[in-house]
Amino acid sequence: MTSVSDSVRMDPDKENLAGSDATNKPRVHRRGALEYVAWVACALVALGVIRTLLTNENYQWDVVAQYVTAETVLRGLVMTVVLTILCMTFGALLGLVIAVLRASPLRPVRILAGAYVTFFRGTPVLVQLIFWFNIAALYPNLAIGIPFTDVSQDIDVNRLISATTAAVVGLSLNQAAYQAEIFRGGFASVDKGQIEAADSLGMSRGTKLRRIIVPQSMPTIVPATGNQFIGMFKETSLVSVLGVAELLQSVQLIYARTYQTIPLLIVACVWYLAMTLLLSYPQSLIEKKFSRTRARVSNEPALAPTPTELMGDAK
Amino acid sequence: MNGDGTVYARGLRKSFGDRVVLDSIDLEVACGEIVCIIGPSGSGKSTLLRCIDGLEEIDRGVLRVNGEDLGFRETPTSYQALKRKEVAAQRTRIGMVFQSFNLFPNMTAQENVMSGPVLVKGAPKAESRRRADALLTSVGLEGHGDHYPWQLSGGQQQRVAIARSLAMDPQVMLFDEPTSALDPERVGEVLAVMKDLAQRGMTMLIATHEMGFAREVADTVIFMDGGLVVEKGKPADVLGNPQEARTCKFLESVL
Repeated sequence: MTSVSDSVRMDPDKENLAGSDATNKPRVHRRGALEYVAWVACALVALGVIRTLLTNENYQWDVVAQYVTAETVLRGLVMTVVLTILCMTFGALLGLVIAVLRASPLRPVRILAGAYVTFFRGTPVLVQLIFWFNIAALYPNLAIGIPFTDVSQDIDVNRLISATTAAVVGLSLNQAAYQAEIFRGGFASVDKGQIEAADSLGMSRGTKLRRIIVPQSMPTIVPATGNQFIGMFKETSLVSVLGVAELLQSVQLIYARTYQTIPLLIVACVWYLAMTLLLSYPQSLIEKKFSRTRARVSNEPALAPTPTELMGDAK
Repeated sequence: MNGDGTVYARGLRKSFGDRVVLDSIDLEVACGEIVCIIGPSGSGKSTLLRCIDGLEEIDRGVLRVNGEDLGFRETPTSYQALKRKEVAAQRTRIGMVFQSFNLFPNMTAQENVMSGPVLVKGAPKAESRRRADALLTSVGLEGHGDHYPWQLSGGQQQRVAIARSLAMDPQVMLFDEPTSALDPERVGEVLAVMKDLAQRGMTMLIATHEMGFAREVADTVIFMDGGLVVEKGKPADVLGNPQEARTCKFLESVL
């Protein structure tokens, strides 16, 4: 034993099997057999799926091609996009308000805002949508006026809440609850030292929020909101139950007439998938940009000296 | 009597839950006095400074900064909390420099220095910008105004932080271990700025581990341990000829 280890210590290269210099030998990781097995198995699954897509005539690809750019479908697509943008805008604005209220120093305000989030996150959005559609049953007449005076204007709620309004209201209110949580998480991600520095300067709550907390929480908030946007795009399909003529409802209208259910559902899927992929690209850019700034938004000193520093400092 | 630039504490007590971190602290700092607070980690140095800046609320005792009860108004039977705005106004007259700099990363060095005057006092921007440049020059950072904190070294960031505090024209400056997060070769540049400030007659309370700096610059050195002031006096006495066994032991371990 001793003699072997001694010889290794004295001449480490002696143990080499063959000619080439040990310092130049590449380091190799051999692929395990499992990886080859996985390749074969996954290829078989993929082939099977492709084969049935091509050979099963019930897919009716010619019908899909015929309807994918049909006017009704495109109009539905536009409605879906409009709904997404409207609901995200309202949802984000209301969500910001609720997030700020949840951080209020006044306890009752905090409790109320918390209750809002709990209610809208704790009940299914589909139920909420149907609820808003039928709100007239609960409040048949809405009076807009000045409290404790005779000045008021009655509004028929049934006429006010059309299917589209119910859809926008329902999705926005629901989205606001989720968005509020995103903002809250973003605010919480801001370093405590930042708030202390602002307090130490005597900054008011409002200034602190606008100038310190919101700008610094953007790296957390923006990518999460982007994900919500993509999610909302697909979530709008729920409002088809209210009869809003968005993408899913449009294809449903067609197949109710032609009974070509499967190909028309594929048409809808093609558009949902295409739009989602389209939105994923800017989303990945946003995520990359903000993950970079997040690395910068820290108190760690820069690793390398800046050029000006190298050229000579005043001190 | 004008209390500007003074700090006064009597029987100050602060606890976090059951843990008493400051107990029966008496402190009297005259205008223009330089006080260095030394002591092991967890001795209460930072908490004391944070109390004087109003970042922590004290449980009991008297605390007057710039001649005013900090954050409260004394009545015959109690201390009544001041309104948020009144507290903020008191804080503008106290400067705080943090161990981890806490520069605003979304602002350039110049904007950081301007942030107090512009966002808190509502000072005109052009004037504040000139003032910020002058302050940056005074801490040796001329031409660094457009750099973001992440583009600056730790020592540079800390000097920007000092300039940011000075921009509010405070009458008392608090330094919470300002050089502890710095590379050793960066410590000197920050200490030089602080020395310069001391010579200009600013009241300064400095929690620090830099014994050489304390000996050279301080008028008074306070040694704290376990939330108590163990020893207090001229630097030559406390650092050179300590009377308490605890002080001796600490100084032996750091020198």
